[in-house]
This record gives sequence, structure tokens and C-alpha cells, in this order.
Amino acid sequence: MTRSVRLAARQALLEQRSFWRSAEYALFTFAFPLMILLLIGAANVGSYLPGTHVKNTTVFVPSILAFGVIVAAYVNLGSKVAVLRHDGVLKRIKTTPLPSVAYLGGLLASTVATTVLIAALTGLIGWLAFGADPRPGGLPALTGGLILGIVCFATLGLAISSVITSAESAGPIAYASFLPIAIISGVFDPTFSGLPQWLSRLVAAFPVKALAQLMQGAYTARPFPAWDLVNLALWTAAGATFVAWRFRWHT
Amino acid sequence: MTDTCVIDEASPAATDGFAVQVRHLRKSYGSTEVLRGVDFDVRYGEVFCLLGPNGAGKTTTLEILEGFRPPTGGTVRVLGINPAAQSARLRERTGMVLQECGFPRLARVAELIDIWRSYYPNPRPLGELLDVVELTEVRNTQVRKLSGGQRRRLDFALALAGDPDLVFLDEPTTGFDPEARRRCWAAIENLRRLGTTILLTTHYLDEAERLADRIAILRAGRIELAGTTHEVAARAGLATRISFTTPSALRRGQVVVPDGIDLAVRGPVSVCHTDNAAMTLRRLLDWALENRLGDLDGLDVSAPSLEDTYLQLTGPDPEIT
Repeated sequence: MTRSVRLAARQALLEQRSFWRSAEYALFTFAFPLMILLLIGAANVGSYLPGTHVKNTTVFVPSILAFGVIVAAYVNLGSKVAVLRHDGVLKRIKTTPLPSVAYLGGLLASTVATTVLIAALTGLIGWLAFGADPRPGGLPALTGGLILGIVCFATLGLAISSVITSAESAGPIAYASFLPIAIISGVFDPTFSGLPQWLSRLVAAFPVKALAQLMQGAYTARPFPAWDLVNLALWTAAGATFVAWRFRWHT
Repeated sequence: MTDTCVIDEASPAATDGFAVQVRHLRKSYGSTEVLRGVDFDVRYGEVFCLLGPNGAGKTTTLEILEGFRPPTGGTVRVLGINPAAQSARLRERTGMVLQECGFPRLARVAELIDIWRSYYPNPRPLGELLDVVELTEVRNTQVRKLSGGQRRRLDFALALAGDPDLVFLDEPTTGFDPEARRRCWAAIENLRRLGTTILLTTHYLDEAERLADRIAILRAGRIELAGTTHEVAARAGLATRISFTTPSALRRGQVVVPDGIDLAVRGPVSVCHTDNAAMTLRRLLDWALENRLGDLDGLDVSAPSLEDTYLQLTGPDPEIT
């Protein structure tokens, strides 16, 4: 057990060092969400949600927090594992006595580190640039949302990795499978509305809006997010089932 | 049971003393029989080569020995372990170079070898590994910047990281240029000097001839022949070739071809094939002496080569219609 933990920690360190060597990974994971935060955030400064005293940015910043979590946990981990599988790295790992749990644990630990960092940067920049900060007593909600978000979307990332068949399509497929949902979930536009009812029901079924609302609950008072929690739990369970069914160490 | 032609000296009763023991190994995918009763042994400390054309079942055999696939029938012991049942235990004592196994592209050479060492209970020292595969100079280079030959040698380093008793090499030099092959061979010879048992597959004859202590020719899911290079060639029943420059007297018809020797006069060169080289040679020289032909210029005696054997065995494939 301790050996597996130690090996996982080493693996995570190597993953982190490798991650920061790659301009494309680091840039996409960090620059993309932070750029959106600053650009769209700037367009929302001074605006309030219709009929309320809630600033747009107070909703927008936690939405981008959720977006960053999804990029780091789902897109990044999903495409990375797909590439590792496609390149035969996972198969090579199976030629060694390294326990699978230690290897995957290392990948996940590295993903958690990246996700926490991007969430912290998003929160910090949102606060410095737009004065958006968690409501008093909102930190537990923020931490809880972060943990649930990472667990749910990392699981879904592992799941989507099994659907991706080539290294080249890994990034595009991972992005394409969630960006449209993020857009109609209103992640990039705090005042987004006017969806037909069937579409807004569909959006509510996906986990993107659920995570965004959990994060928003840490910034502004909202009713207890029972449905959002159930939603994430169900998606996590579905993702885990799919992973158990379809995860392969080689193509 | 099978009707496989097994030429190997190991007694079926012996279970120890061999690094690898394969008996009546069969493997089918659906109705396709890939292995139809394969038998061979690999001794500790030797380089054993599984030679055969593409599709003969080499990789399937290796994958069963490595514990990646269960056999359909027969028994397999690797270092005394049943790979299908105890692959985890086996992994600690074996190293593998598989076909088409990639690397984490952004890791550096020494960094990657070092983390590989941490997977094993008794790893080999990092510096030694870099030396054996001649990668010391690029130890801080990212894997994605290595050449194909360097990557293959990094494969070796990773396979050796755990100081294995047995190393599997699946077609280690396929697709390499001559220089990369030469360095790859040097690395394999370094391994042998370390006392590592090596089981290697290849479809290159020169590779088998150069590296292997013993060879088994696998074709259409069966071992056709096994033994040392010379044994394999001899057991294939190929004749020794004796040739010499045709003496002018013979060419002009002033002397006749000796009795009992199947000599073919092909213009400037005369050739005969024989199963008993010594006797044929003696009779040829006696004949030359009697007819005052001197010592037979350009006399050449060549034992059947592995290539002759291989081409004869693998040429027309009866399994393919």
C-alpha cells in the first residue's frame, strides 16, 4: 500500500514535470480558460443580472472556475490517456510490475494538482480583476464543488479516452464533446437565457451546468443544490461503470 | 497430440534448468489456429531466436510467454512460473521489448529509466544501464527528440531496468538502417555478456545467425526445426556444396567426370552437392591427381547456410492455398 502511494507520487511528479515542458498542454490548459475569464469578464464589468443586485462577474467567475476544472480534469486527462494508450505507453506499463492502481493514481494525482492550480489562478484573477470573491462562509461549498468536479470529470475523462481511437483526434474530440454543452449551459454568458424548454431540460441533464451552479453557490447565495449534487453523482457512477467496462491498456 | 517435427534434446520430464519451457502450445482465435503445437526450450544464459516469416505466430508465442494472452492448449513455464496465472510475479524478473510500444514523449532519457527502476525490487544502477545501451550522451534529452535507433536502445534500457533474468525482444531491429542495427546488435551482445537469457524473434536471418546460440524456425504455427545454426542447417537435409574452377582438360572433354559424383560442369565452374563432403572431396582430389589436374583451382566447400535452410523451409507455404 505505502509502496503504491510512493510510486504514484513519483509518477505524478514525472507527469507534472512533463506537463510543464509542453507548451501546447500548458498553454491550452491554462491560457484558454484564463483568457476567456479576462476577455468575457471585462465585457461584463459593471453589469448586473436582470432584476437583481448580483453582479454578472459574481456568477461568471465561478462559471469559469468550473470551466477550468473541466478542461484540466476532463479534456486534459481524457486526451492524455487516449494518447498514452494509442502510443503504447499503457501497454509498456503493463510489462512492468508497477501496480495499475499506482500508475493511474499518479496520473490522477497530477491531474488534481493541475486542476487545483488552475482553479486557484481563476479565483485569484477573478478577485483581483473583477472583485469577485466567495461569499462569506462559501469556502466549504467551493472546496466541495472542486472535489466533486474533479472526481466527476476525471472519471468522465477516463471514459472518453476509451472512445477516442487516434492520438490526433484526442484533443479535438475531448473539446468537441463538451464545448457546445458548456456554451448552452451559459458558462460563458451569465445572462444567457431564452433556450427552448426541451433544450434547457437537456442542458440540465448534463454535468456542466450542475458543476457551474455548485461553484456559483460558493460566490452568491443559492438554494441547496440537491439536484446538482445528484447529477454529478449519477454522471460519476455512469462514467465509472463505462471505465470498468471499456478501459483497455492497449488498442 | 500433434505431429510437429520437434528436434530438441530436452526431455519432457525436466521442468527445471530451463528459462523457458513450451510444450504442445496451441492458440486459436475463433476458428483460426495460430499456433498448432509449439515445443521448445530456452536454457539459462543463452540467446534463443524464434525465426520465421511474418504471420508465423512469433509474436503470439511471445505474448503468451509474457502473460498477455492465455494459451488455448499446452503448457508454458517461464522461469518456472506459469505466466497466465502469475504474470505479476513474472514481471519482476523479466524485461520486454515489444513491437510498437511508445514512450511518454516529454520525459527525459535518464528520468524515464530512473522511474522505471523504481518499479522493480532490485534495479540495475542507472549509469550502468545508460552505458549498456550507449545512451549516456543523451541522458538529458527528451524522448521525442531521439532517433529510431536511440529509442530502441531506450527500449532495451527500460527492459533491463529491473535486472531481469530473462529478456524478450520482439523483432528488435525491424525497419532499421544498417548503422542502427549494428548498434542494436552491440547492445544485445552487451546483454548476453551480462549473463541475461534472451528470447528474441526476428525474420532476419543474419540477425539470428549473428546473435543466437540456438534457433527455432517457426512456420505456420509449428516449430519446423530447432537447434544451433549448424544443426538446423544440417537437419534440414541440405547438401554441402563443393565447387572448383573447371579444369581446361575437363572443359575440352579430355577427361571424363568421375564416377559416382554428381558433378555439374557449368562453364568455368564445376559444382556438386553431397551429403558426405569428406568422401566426395577425397574422391574428387584422387580423380584430379589421376588425371593430372593439379589441386583443383578455386576449390570451395560450403556448408549449407541458415539462409539455404530457411528459404527451403519457408519458400512454398503449404498452409496457404
